[in-house]
Amino acid sequence: MTPPIGALAARGRPLPPGRQLVEDYLAQVGARLPGPVRERADIIAELRGGLLDAVDAYRDAGLSAPDAAATAIEEFGGPGRVAAAFGPGLALSQARRVALTLLVTGPLVGLLWAIAATASHIASRAALPWHWVGAPPGSLMVFPLAVAIVLAVWTALFTIAATGRATRWLPDRPRLAPGTAAVAGFGAAGADVALLVLLASQLTVAPGTLAAAPVAAAALASATRLVLAGRAACHCLATRTALAGPR
Amino acid sequence: MRPETLKGHLDGMLLAALEPGPRHGYAIMEALRAGSGGQFDLPTGTIYPALRRLERAGLVAGTWSEAGGRRRRVYELTPAGHHTLDTERGTWRQFSAAVTALLEPAPRPVTS
Repeated sequence: MTPPIGALAARGRPLPPGRQLVEDYLAQVGARLPGPVRERADIIAELRGGLLDAVDAYRDAGLSAPDAAATAIEEFGGPGRVAAAFGPGLALSQARRVALTLLVTGPLVGLLWAIAATASHIASRAALPWHWVGAPPGSLMVFPLAVAIVLAVWTALFTIAATGRATRWLPDRPRLAPGTAAVAGFGAAGADVALLVLLASQLTVAPGTLAAAPVAAAALASATRLVLAGRAACHCLATRTALAGPR
Repeated sequence: MRPETLKGHLDGMLLAALEPGPRHGYAIMEALRAGSGGQFDLPTGTIYPALRRLERAGLVAGTWSEAGGRRRRVYELTPAGHHTLDTERGTWRQFSAAVTALLEPAPRPVTS
């Protein structure tokens, strides 16, 4: 369930009637906003400032506190409409964050596998995981691994490029970036699957050649990223689907 | 004026409202209302997502300020924002001159 970000009123003293209306309205907007908690809280804080400024202006013009709040809220627009207007921007933020996280964690996971290969006896033959196994079951994974890595890197780079300053020139297509971020996430997850299959085949063919601790660390890192990248990709797809709805 | 007529020009109008100097959301809204002689009647809440979009595009820069216990996000034009505003202005002048020429009744030909 979405946390009620706008709901400040529950703690402490009860708010004056006008202010309570504003907080109720903000809670309704907050409940409809998708995306990261911090960014939603930031948006609600900005909306609160603007709404309270409008309430003050109506109070100065002679309206009672509840009337001033009700008028300001009515002018602001329905909570669904206001939240929907933030949707495309929040979708871009989400896609950008997923792509950045993948680009930062990717080399770390790769480094752990390189350490695992170096620490293992097979390192004397080759440091790259796809050289571990000469036997077909393992070497067959080399191609999907390369494809997954290239796909993930390029779609992540594209996502970052398409969600920053470049939005100034790009056509308004908010569903594109969540889509490419999802591809990057699934690409990274695919690379992890390929690496874990390579490891499994190496364990089957020549179990004694591996250094237990570094290999376990690399496998754990890949398994963790597999789950997280897959989940992030699914979230991006859900956001993309939500944007396709009535706007 | 119908909201959809205004909406296509919202970005340019927001940039213009920030041209005199930094402003927060409510002050921008007030500037748009006053500047349009009350014609600007979009729901107030929709200018905030538009400001965030302009910020993402690097056309405005937003910073938080706090006064009297109230947090406000203050926006100002970036150099790129100034440049875009100039371009929008030029485009608008050309467009409005062409539409005016077409829509205004033509002066009667002088006969004598």
